[in-house]
Amino acid sequence: MFVIVIGCGKIGYQLSRALLAADHEVVILERDSHRAAQAADELGSIVISSDGTEPAVLSEAGASRCQLLITTTGQDATNLVACQVAKHSFRVPQTIAVVTDPDHVSLFKQLGVDVTISTTELILSHIEEEIPGGSLVHLLPLQGAASGIVCVRIPAGSPAIGLALDDIGLPTGTSLAAVVTKDGEIKMMGDELLLEQDDEVVAITPPDREALLWKALTGGG
Amino acid sequence: MPRNVMILGCGRVGAMVAKALAAEGDDVIIIDRDADNFRRLNEAPNLHMLVADGTSSEELRRCGIEKVDAFISLTAQDTVNALAAQVAQLSFSIPAVICRINDPTRRAMYDELGLRTVSPPQVLTDLVLEALGT
Repeated sequence: MFVIVIGCGKIGYQLSRALLAADHEVVILERDSHRAAQAADELGSIVISSDGTEPAVLSEAGASRCQLLITTTGQDATNLVACQVAKHSFRVPQTIAVVTDPDHVSLFKQLGVDVTISTTELILSHIEEEIPGGSLVHLLPLQGAASGIVCVRIPAGSPAIGLALDDIGLPTGTSLAAVVTKDGEIKMMGDELLLEQDDEVVAITPPDREALLWKALTGGG
Repeated sequence: MPRNVMILGCGRVGAMVAKALAAEGDDVIIIDRDADNFRRLNEAPNLHMLVADGTSSEELRRCGIEKVDAFISLTAQDTVNALAAQVAQLSFSIPAVICRINDPTRRAMYDELGLRTVSPPQVLTDLVLEALGT
Protein backbone atom coordinates (compact mmCIF):
# COMPACT_ATOMS: atom_id res chain seq x y z
CA MET A 1 0.00 0.00 0.00
CA PHE A 2 1.17 3.56 -0.65
CA VAL A 3 0.95 5.55 2.59
CA ILE A 4 1.68 9.24 3.26
CA VAL A 5 2.62 10.06 6.84
CA ILE A 6 2.39 13.68 8.01
CA GLY A 7 4.72 14.57 10.87
CA CYS A 8 7.91 12.78 11.83
CA GLY A 9 7.91 13.14 15.60
CA LYS A 10 8.09 10.06 17.83
CA ILE A 11 4.77 8.66 16.59
CA GLY A 12 5.33 9.43 12.92
CA TYR A 13 8.87 8.05 12.94
CA GLN A 14 8.05 4.77 14.67
CA LEU A 15 4.92 4.33 12.57
CA SER A 16 6.87 4.86 9.35
CA ARG A 17 9.50 2.33 10.37
CA ALA A 18 6.78 -0.22 11.08
CA LEU A 19 5.07 0.48 7.74
CA LEU A 20 8.36 0.14 5.86
CA ALA A 21 9.14 -3.11 7.67
CA ALA A 22 5.77 -4.41 6.50
CA ASP A 23 6.81 -3.59 2.90
CA HIS A 24 4.52 -0.63 2.40
CA GLU A 25 5.57 2.30 0.23
CA VAL A 26 5.90 5.34 2.51
CA VAL A 27 6.44 9.08 2.03
CA ILE A 28 6.87 11.22 5.15
CA LEU A 29 6.22 14.98 5.18
CA GLU A 30 7.83 16.90 8.05
CA ARG A 31 7.73 20.69 8.21
CA ASP A 32 10.72 21.08 10.52
CA SER A 33 13.82 20.83 8.30
CA HIS A 34 16.14 19.79 11.13
CA ARG A 35 13.84 16.96 12.21
CA ALA A 36 13.32 15.92 8.59
CA ALA A 37 17.09 15.74 8.00
CA GLN A 38 17.54 13.57 11.10
CA ALA A 39 14.82 11.17 9.97
CA ALA A 40 16.23 11.10 6.43
CA ASP A 41 19.57 9.90 7.85
CA GLU A 42 17.77 6.81 9.16
CA LEU A 43 15.00 6.28 6.62
CA GLY A 44 16.45 7.70 3.41
CA SER A 45 15.02 9.97 0.77
CA ILE A 46 11.38 9.16 1.57
CA VAL A 47 11.42 12.00 4.11
CA ILE A 48 10.47 15.34 2.56
CA SER A 49 10.94 18.59 4.46
CA SER A 50 7.65 20.31 3.62
CA ASP A 51 4.29 21.35 5.05
CA GLY A 52 1.87 18.47 4.52
CA THR A 53 -1.18 20.72 4.80
CA GLU A 54 -0.26 22.46 1.51
CA PRO A 55 -2.12 21.07 -1.51
CA ALA A 56 0.93 21.68 -3.75
CA VAL A 57 3.15 19.65 -1.40
CA LEU A 58 0.67 16.78 -1.18
CA SER A 59 0.36 16.75 -4.94
CA GLU A 60 4.12 16.43 -5.35
CA ALA A 61 4.23 13.68 -2.74
CA GLY A 62 1.82 11.67 -4.87
CA ALA A 63 -1.36 12.13 -2.85
CA SER A 64 -3.60 11.38 -5.83
CA ARG A 65 -2.40 7.75 -5.92
CA CYS A 66 -2.09 7.40 -2.15
CA GLN A 67 -4.38 4.84 -0.47
CA LEU A 68 -3.91 5.95 3.12
CA LEU A 69 -2.85 9.23 4.74
CA ILE A 70 -1.97 9.32 8.42
CA THR A 71 -1.39 12.58 10.32
CA THR A 72 0.70 12.29 13.48
CA THR A 73 1.67 15.83 14.48
CA GLY A 74 0.95 17.17 17.96
CA GLN A 75 -1.26 19.88 16.51
CA ASP A 76 -4.90 19.05 15.90
CA ALA A 77 -5.26 21.97 13.45
CA THR A 78 -2.47 20.61 11.23
CA ASN A 79 -3.81 17.06 11.42
CA LEU A 80 -7.35 18.11 10.52
CA VAL A 81 -6.42 20.33 7.57
CA ALA A 82 -4.04 17.71 6.10
CA CYS A 83 -6.80 15.09 6.25
CA GLN A 84 -9.38 17.44 4.74
CA VAL A 85 -7.09 18.43 1.86
CA ALA A 86 -6.23 14.74 1.25
CA LYS A 87 -9.88 13.74 1.28
CA HIS A 88 -11.39 16.55 -0.74
CA SER A 89 -8.64 17.65 -3.11
CA PHE A 90 -6.99 14.25 -3.73
CA ARG A 91 -9.77 11.72 -2.98
CA VAL A 92 -7.53 9.74 -0.65
CA PRO A 93 -9.77 6.80 0.32
CA GLN A 94 -8.67 6.43 3.95
CA THR A 95 -7.46 9.10 6.39
CA ILE A 96 -6.34 8.54 9.97
CA ALA A 97 -5.65 11.41 12.38
CA VAL A 98 -4.00 11.55 15.76
CA VAL A 99 -6.09 13.89 17.93
CA THR A 100 -4.76 15.42 21.14
CA ASP A 101 -7.89 17.28 22.33
CA PRO A 102 -10.60 14.69 23.13
CA ASP A 103 -13.23 17.38 22.39
CA HIS A 104 -12.20 17.22 18.71
CA VAL A 105 -12.84 13.51 18.16
CA SER A 106 -16.47 13.79 17.07
CA LEU A 107 -15.78 16.96 15.03
CA PHE A 108 -13.01 15.22 13.06
CA LYS A 109 -15.40 12.33 12.29
CA GLN A 110 -18.11 14.76 11.24
CA LEU A 111 -15.63 16.43 8.90
CA GLY A 112 -14.80 13.18 7.12
CA VAL A 113 -11.67 11.93 8.90
CA ASP A 114 -12.13 8.15 8.74
CA VAL A 115 -10.33 7.12 11.92
CA THR A 116 -9.32 9.24 14.90
CA ILE A 117 -6.84 8.18 17.54
CA SER A 118 -7.11 10.23 20.70
CA THR A 119 -3.71 10.01 22.36
CA THR A 120 -4.93 11.78 25.49
CA GLU A 121 -7.83 9.36 25.98
CA LEU A 122 -5.60 6.35 25.31
CA ILE A 123 -3.07 7.42 27.92
CA LEU A 124 -5.77 8.36 30.45
CA SER A 125 -7.52 5.02 30.10
CA HIS A 126 -4.28 3.14 30.67
CA ILE A 127 -3.57 5.22 33.76
CA GLU A 128 -7.13 4.72 35.04
CA GLU A 129 -6.65 0.96 34.78
CA GLU A 130 -3.65 1.15 37.08
CA ILE A 131 -5.18 3.35 39.77
CA PRO A 132 -6.33 1.25 42.75
CA GLY A 133 -9.90 1.88 43.91
CA GLY A 134 -10.49 2.45 40.30
CA SER A 135 -12.85 4.30 38.13
CA LEU A 136 -14.62 3.61 34.92
CA VAL A 137 -12.03 2.51 32.35
CA HIS A 138 -12.54 3.62 28.76
CA LEU A 139 -11.76 0.75 26.41
CA LEU A 140 -12.91 1.92 22.98
CA PRO A 141 -14.85 4.86 21.54
CA LEU A 142 -17.61 3.89 19.08
CA GLN A 143 -19.26 5.87 16.27
CA GLY A 144 -17.07 8.94 16.69
CA ALA A 145 -17.30 8.80 20.50
CA ALA A 146 -21.13 8.93 20.50
CA SER A 147 -20.84 5.84 22.68
CA GLY A 148 -18.00 3.89 24.15
CA ILE A 149 -17.11 0.50 25.56
CA VAL A 150 -16.10 0.84 29.21
CA CYS A 151 -15.15 -1.47 32.02
CA VAL A 152 -16.17 -1.24 35.69
CA ARG A 153 -15.00 -3.48 38.55
CA ILE A 154 -17.77 -4.19 41.09
CA PRO A 155 -16.38 -3.07 44.50
CA ALA A 156 -17.27 -4.43 47.94
CA GLY A 157 -20.49 -2.85 49.16
CA SER A 158 -21.84 -2.19 45.68
CA PRO A 159 -25.65 -2.12 45.55
CA ALA A 160 -25.46 -4.20 42.35
CA ILE A 161 -24.00 -7.29 44.10
CA GLY A 162 -26.45 -10.22 43.99
CA LEU A 163 -28.74 -8.45 41.54
CA ALA A 164 -29.87 -9.67 38.12
CA LEU A 165 -29.54 -7.46 35.05
CA ASP A 166 -33.14 -6.23 35.18
CA ASP A 167 -32.89 -5.21 38.83
CA ILE A 168 -29.72 -3.12 38.68
CA GLY A 169 -31.48 0.02 37.50
CA LEU A 170 -29.15 0.83 34.63
CA PRO A 171 -29.43 4.32 33.16
CA THR A 172 -31.38 4.37 29.88
CA GLY A 173 -29.23 4.13 26.77
CA THR A 174 -26.58 2.00 28.49
CA SER A 175 -26.15 -1.74 28.13
CA LEU A 176 -24.02 -4.39 29.82
CA ALA A 177 -22.23 -6.65 27.38
CA ALA A 178 -20.35 -9.24 29.41
CA VAL A 179 -18.80 -9.98 32.78
CA VAL A 180 -15.34 -11.30 33.54
CA THR A 181 -15.24 -12.89 37.01
CA LYS A 182 -12.23 -12.60 39.32
CA ASP A 183 -11.24 -16.13 38.22
CA GLY A 184 -11.10 -14.91 34.64
CA GLU A 185 -14.27 -16.67 33.52
CA ILE A 186 -16.25 -14.85 30.83
CA LYS A 187 -20.03 -14.76 31.28
CA MET A 188 -22.45 -13.22 28.85
CA MET A 189 -25.13 -11.04 30.36
CA GLY A 190 -28.44 -12.82 30.74
CA ASP A 191 -31.42 -12.79 33.06
CA GLU A 192 -30.02 -15.54 35.27
CA LEU A 193 -26.61 -13.91 35.85
CA LEU A 194 -26.13 -12.29 39.26
CA LEU A 195 -23.27 -9.81 39.74
CA GLU A 196 -20.62 -10.56 42.33
CA GLN A 197 -17.92 -8.54 44.03
CA ASP A 198 -14.77 -8.07 41.88
CA ASP A 199 -16.61 -8.94 38.67
CA GLU A 200 -15.38 -6.77 35.83
CA VAL A 201 -18.37 -5.58 33.85
CA VAL A 202 -17.97 -4.56 30.20
CA ALA A 203 -20.63 -2.02 29.26
CA ILE A 204 -21.61 0.23 26.36
CA THR A 205 -22.58 3.77 27.27
CA PRO A 206 -22.81 7.30 25.85
CA PRO A 207 -20.29 9.62 27.59
CA ASP A 208 -22.99 11.63 29.39
CA ARG A 209 -24.37 8.50 31.12
CA GLU A 210 -21.04 7.33 32.50
CA ALA A 211 -21.55 8.91 35.92
CA LEU A 212 -24.99 7.28 36.31
CA LEU A 213 -23.66 3.91 35.15
CA TRP A 214 -20.77 4.19 37.62
CA LYS A 215 -23.22 4.94 40.44
CA ALA A 216 -25.53 2.02 39.50
CA LEU A 217 -22.65 -0.47 39.44
CA THR A 218 -20.56 0.75 42.38
CA GLY A 219 -22.86 2.89 44.54
CA GLY A 220 -20.17 5.59 44.46
CA GLY A 221 -20.81 9.19 43.43
CA MET B 1 -28.99 46.11 17.43
CA PRO B 2 -25.44 45.44 18.69
CA ARG B 3 -24.05 41.99 17.88
CA ASN B 4 -21.89 39.72 20.01
CA VAL B 5 -18.78 38.91 17.98
CA MET B 6 -15.80 36.71 18.81
CA ILE B 7 -12.53 37.26 16.94
CA LEU B 8 -9.64 34.80 17.05
CA GLY B 9 -6.19 36.31 16.51
CA CYS B 10 -5.08 39.81 17.48
CA GLY B 11 -2.58 40.44 14.70
CA ARG B 12 -2.90 43.52 12.52
CA VAL B 13 -6.02 42.25 10.77
CA GLY B 14 -7.77 40.90 13.87
CA ALA B 15 -7.05 44.09 15.83
CA MET B 16 -8.39 46.32 13.05
CA VAL B 17 -11.57 44.31 12.66
CA ALA B 18 -12.07 44.31 16.44
CA LYS B 19 -11.61 48.09 16.61
CA ALA B 20 -13.99 48.69 13.73
CA LEU B 21 -16.73 46.47 15.15
CA ALA B 22 -16.35 47.91 18.66
CA ALA B 23 -16.58 51.44 17.21
CA GLU B 24 -19.87 50.44 15.59
CA GLY B 25 -21.17 49.46 19.02
CA ASP B 26 -20.84 45.68 18.77
CA ASP B 27 -19.78 43.69 21.81
CA VAL B 28 -16.43 42.18 20.83
CA ILE B 29 -14.45 39.37 22.47
CA ILE B 30 -10.96 39.06 20.97
CA ILE B 31 -8.79 36.04 21.75
CA ASP B 32 -5.06 35.56 21.31
CA ARG B 33 -2.55 33.10 22.73
CA ASP B 34 -0.11 35.94 23.37
CA ALA B 35 -1.18 38.83 25.65
CA ASP B 36 1.49 41.05 24.00
CA ASN B 37 -0.62 41.22 20.87
CA PHE B 38 -3.32 43.17 22.70
CA ARG B 39 -0.95 46.18 22.60
CA ARG B 40 -2.56 46.91 19.24
CA LEU B 41 -5.86 47.75 20.99
CA ASN B 42 -7.09 50.40 23.40
CA GLU B 43 -9.35 49.58 26.33
CA ALA B 44 -13.07 49.97 25.66
CA PRO B 45 -16.06 48.77 27.69
CA ASN B 46 -17.38 46.66 24.78
CA LEU B 47 -13.98 45.18 23.82
CA HIS B 48 -12.91 42.16 25.85
CA MET B 49 -9.37 40.81 25.40
CA LEU B 50 -8.84 37.23 26.55
CA VAL B 51 -5.71 35.09 26.46
CA ALA B 52 -6.68 31.61 25.24
CA ASP B 53 -5.86 28.86 22.75
CA GLY B 54 -8.48 29.12 20.01
CA THR B 55 -7.94 25.53 18.89
CA SER B 56 -9.31 24.21 22.20
CA SER B 57 -13.10 23.83 22.38
CA GLU B 58 -12.90 23.97 26.15
CA GLU B 59 -11.09 27.33 26.09
CA LEU B 60 -13.47 28.76 23.49
CA ARG B 61 -16.36 27.76 25.76
CA ARG B 62 -14.64 29.42 28.72
CA CYS B 63 -14.33 32.62 26.64
CA GLY B 64 -18.08 32.59 26.03
CA ILE B 65 -18.36 31.30 22.45
CA GLU B 66 -21.80 29.86 23.19
CA LYS B 67 -23.28 33.36 23.42
CA VAL B 68 -21.87 34.97 20.26
CA ASP B 69 -23.72 35.69 17.01
CA ALA B 70 -20.60 35.67 14.87
CA PHE B 71 -17.15 34.04 14.99
CA ILE B 72 -14.25 35.28 12.87
CA SER B 73 -10.90 33.47 12.77
CA LEU B 74 -8.11 35.79 11.63
CA THR B 75 -4.80 34.34 12.83
CA ALA B 76 -1.87 34.11 10.42
CA GLN B 77 -2.17 30.30 10.33
CA ASP B 78 -4.66 28.73 7.92
CA THR B 79 -4.74 25.49 9.89
CA VAL B 80 -5.64 27.19 13.17
CA ASN B 81 -8.29 29.31 11.43
CA ALA B 82 -9.82 26.31 9.68
CA LEU B 83 -10.02 24.21 12.85
CA ALA B 84 -11.44 27.02 15.01
CA ALA B 85 -14.00 28.08 12.37
CA GLN B 86 -15.25 24.51 11.93
CA VAL B 87 -15.45 24.07 15.71
CA ALA B 88 -17.53 27.28 15.88
CA GLN B 89 -19.77 26.26 13.00
CA LEU B 90 -20.33 22.59 13.84
CA SER B 91 -19.66 22.10 17.55
CA PHE B 92 -21.19 25.39 18.74
CA SER B 93 -23.62 26.14 15.84
CA ILE B 94 -22.62 29.81 15.63
CA PRO B 95 -24.87 31.38 12.95
CA ALA B 96 -22.20 33.47 11.17
CA VAL B 97 -18.66 32.12 10.83
CA ILE B 98 -15.94 33.77 8.75
CA CYS B 99 -12.53 32.20 8.25
CA ARG B 100 -9.28 33.65 6.90
CA ILE B 101 -7.51 31.22 4.55
CA ASN B 102 -4.38 32.53 2.86
CA ASP B 103 -3.62 29.62 0.54
CA PRO B 104 -5.82 29.94 -2.58
CA THR B 105 -6.18 26.17 -3.24
CA ARG B 106 -7.17 25.43 0.34
CA ARG B 107 -9.50 28.40 0.24
CA ALA B 108 -11.38 26.98 -2.75
CA MET B 109 -11.75 23.68 -0.90
CA TYR B 110 -13.13 25.28 2.26
CA ASP B 111 -15.56 27.36 0.21
CA GLU B 112 -16.85 24.11 -1.27
CA LEU B 113 -17.11 22.61 2.21
CA GLY B 114 -19.42 25.44 3.26
CA LEU B 115 -17.15 27.82 5.18
CA ARG B 116 -17.32 31.51 4.40
CA THR B 117 -13.67 32.35 3.71
CA VAL B 118 -11.67 35.50 3.08
CA SER B 119 -8.23 35.37 1.49
CA PRO B 120 -5.93 38.38 2.05
CA PRO B 121 -3.70 37.56 -0.99
CA GLN B 122 -6.79 37.37 -3.18
CA VAL B 123 -8.24 40.63 -1.81
CA LEU B 124 -4.91 42.39 -2.29
CA THR B 125 -4.53 41.05 -5.83
CA ASP B 126 -8.01 42.25 -6.75
CA LEU B 127 -7.28 45.71 -5.33
CA VAL B 128 -3.95 45.97 -7.17
CA LEU B 129 -5.54 44.95 -10.46
CA GLU B 130 -8.34 47.42 -9.87
CA ALA B 131 -5.83 50.20 -9.13
CA LEU B 132 -4.04 49.35 -12.37
CA GLY B 133 -7.35 49.72 -14.15
CA THR B 134 -7.33 46.21 -15.61
